[in-house]
Amino acid sequence: MLNRRTLIAATGAAALAGPAHAQTFPRKAIQMIVAFPAGGSTDIGARIVAASAEKVFGQPVVVVNKAGAGGQLGFTEAARARPDGYTLAFLNLPGINTIILDPERKAVFGIDAFIPVINQVLDPGLVWVRADSPYKTFADLIEGAKKNPGKVSACTTGILSDDHLAILMTHEAAKVEFRIVHFDGGAQQITGVMGGHVDVAFDNVGGVFKRIRSGELRGLVVFDNERSKFLPDVPTAKELGYPTIISSSTRGIGVQKGTPPDVIQALEAGLLKAMQNPDHIHKLEEAGLGFKPMVGAEYAKYYADLHAQAAKYTEWALKMR
Amino acid sequence: MDAVQHLMAGLGAAMSPGNLMFAFAGCMLGTLIGLLPGLGPAAGTAILIPLTFSLDATGAIIMLCAIYYGAMYGGTITSVLINVPGEAASVITCIDGYAMARQGRAGSALAIAAIGSFVGGTAATIALVVVAIPLATLALKFGPAEFFGLMVAGLCLVIGLAGKNLMAALLMTVLGLLLAMIGLDPVRGAPRFTFGLPELYDGIGFVPVVMGLFGIGELLLAAERRETRMIEADLKKWNPTKEEWRASAGAIGRGTVIGFVLGLIPGVGAIVPTFMAYVLEKRVSKTPERFGNGAIEGVASAETANNAYANASMVPLLALGVPSSPTIAVLMGAFIVNGITPGPFLFTERPELVWTVIASFFVGNVILLILNLPLVGLWAKLLRIPFSYMCTGVLIFCVIGAYGLKQSLFDVWIMLGFGVLGYLLRKLDLPLAPAILALILGPMMERSLRTTLEISAGSFAIFLDRPLALALLTIPVIVLGFMLLKPRAFAPVRQADAE
Repeated sequence: MLNRRTLIAATGAAALAGPAHAQTFPRKAIQMIVAFPAGGSTDIGARIVAASAEKVFGQPVVVVNKAGAGGQLGFTEAARARPDGYTLAFLNLPGINTIILDPERKAVFGIDAFIPVINQVLDPGLVWVRADSPYKTFADLIEGAKKNPGKVSACTTGILSDDHLAILMTHEAAKVEFRIVHFDGGAQQITGVMGGHVDVAFDNVGGVFKRIRSGELRGLVVFDNERSKFLPDVPTAKELGYPTIISSSTRGIGVQKGTPPDVIQALEAGLLKAMQNPDHIHKLEEAGLGFKPMVGAEYAKYYADLHAQAAKYTEWALKMR
Repeated sequence: MDAVQHLMAGLGAAMSPGNLMFAFAGCMLGTLIGLLPGLGPAAGTAILIPLTFSLDATGAIIMLCAIYYGAMYGGTITSVLINVPGEAASVITCIDGYAMARQGRAGSALAIAAIGSFVGGTAATIALVVVAIPLATLALKFGPAEFFGLMVAGLCLVIGLAGKNLMAALLMTVLGLLLAMIGLDPVRGAPRFTFGLPELYDGIGFVPVVMGLFGIGELLLAAERRETRMIEADLKKWNPTKEEWRASAGAIGRGTVIGFVLGLIPGVGAIVPTFMAYVLEKRVSKTPERFGNGAIEGVASAETANNAYANASMVPLLALGVPSSPTIAVLMGAFIVNGITPGPFLFTERPELVWTVIASFFVGNVILLILNLPLVGLWAKLLRIPFSYMCTGVLIFCVIGAYGLKQSLFDVWIMLGFGVLGYLLRKLDLPLAPAILALILGPMMERSLRTTLEISAGSFAIFLDRPLALALLTIPVIVLGFMLLKPRAFAPVRQADAE
């Protein structure tokens, strides 16, 4: 079965590659656990990279959706898998961080359960309003919120989501206070703001950039260091004088603590190659997902810094509840 | 008119041999998905998304949509034959469909379901073409406050009108609401009644509960009766009688309207319209006592509403880019993977695609009818299988279904536990429907109420400021008040008695 077949394949490959350097990893199919349901934007990105990685590794890369509890079920399963490089964890930041940081969630894994290998997508935070909103710019919004403290309503895609943290960062940086409304996902934000029930949405670029380009909605600010490729006309928070508001939703791939270094290396090299494939980049951009490769020390630093940042705002958020 | 022209062009494209084939394949696959409990439309569509990667965008979308409403129909078959809803929206069909099957009228039930689905689906698609955009925009006025009103009204109507005994119905509603409390608090994010089990963070899975209460519960009851064969009546005559036609016509009409209107409002879900259509039918019927004992209107109304809803819920997706149910969200994901972002701009950016897809809804509904009517006799014959085999088969079917949902044994235990509960509740003659509706509506009701209060900073006055929400909230007051003042009008209606 699988063993015999892979053995034959391996010997075949070894014979082709010459006697000395037979490829040792991967020798069988790789699973990638995605903690969100099939068809969602996390899943779409995962499937795009899986398809590309199969060609690089010469082995199937199978996306396994293990959705539930805001990702906690999938992360838990990934953390518990054998650290041999054959079960990859598709990591959503800061989702995984807030699950770990919220003591009530009783997560059985810590931040060090995973070794970050490579980042794939960075979807920056974005504030948007209806096209006919009185808030033409981010400055208008801040002014409005200052005049009416606690009256301007701002919605998130869920409690302790990156959007929720971004609102808290804005509270801190601009010394304002919004009336926070937690929705369940991006679709509710759109109906909520377009229907006039809520004033402004804290969201991400990926889900709404087409509506902003078409003029149906207006983007006020992007919470990134540089302007978004998808929305070149929307200024960054840094340009507007709020350099501390940096927020995004990122997705990358990690492995369990204890995975052998040579396996991590092989994964990093293979996945980087898979992601640099123009087809991979093109498909990501079609889906509105910004490509942001980070590997090795760079990704590890990002992972650690983000956890520290999330810790601060999660603590705030928990105090408010 | 512009829309009609586009639609004609779309029909032409949808009738091309390739696209016809995609629609056909989708309907087939969808029916199969609907047949398998646990593998509901959302999961089924998700699994089949990769299949569409290699197709062109139009073909892929046509196929996925066909899978979606094919699944909505397929769920009916198991509901009628073995009392196991193949997908959640077929729960109501179990009540009268299964009763009909036990009387040897499975053929009529399946035929009327196919025809009702066709009429509901087609009429909803016509309405979609005519009024999609203005209505979708209007539906946006429906905010969390109105949504809460709708949920409360729906729940109260079902309690007030569906039960034979108000106390029993209320009791079961409270049970359902209590079960709905399990999981993460929707606003604060804190776990409730989860015993530290992350599997419970999303609440109790609805599908395992329904499969347990209905399917497993029924098996236990049948085993207790020492039933040897499911059905002994004549299965040859499967086409509905004249009387059945007459009884169903009105139900199909009303089901279409309810399904369509509720389909416009994002987030309602396919189950609410089926409950509402069923309850309405029972209310307008001159012989409400037949409901639960094999009233064909019960099957016709629920199935029609179900498919009218399925097609109408494409309106928010196409006109606003808002997915109105988990299945539609998966479909939207599939659109995006195939390079299409649904939304109002789609009508201007890719009109040929949108209209071809809409046209394919018509084609798909016709295909479903052609596919299903001849098969009705075949399905009905399955009931001839001796009960001892059937029973084992159903059990295996349910276990696989519950496991397949999330590849988790946890759901299998939930299902078996609720099977025992279902058996006990039926023994005690307590109605299951209010508990199920409360379990579904509970979380939506809670979230919409709390979102409303977040918007109003905790003030309940918001419900007074919003006329539609206020109107919706007064319905239950009137219904319950009427029931207390005039209990006679609602007096004992004989209902699903297993014997």
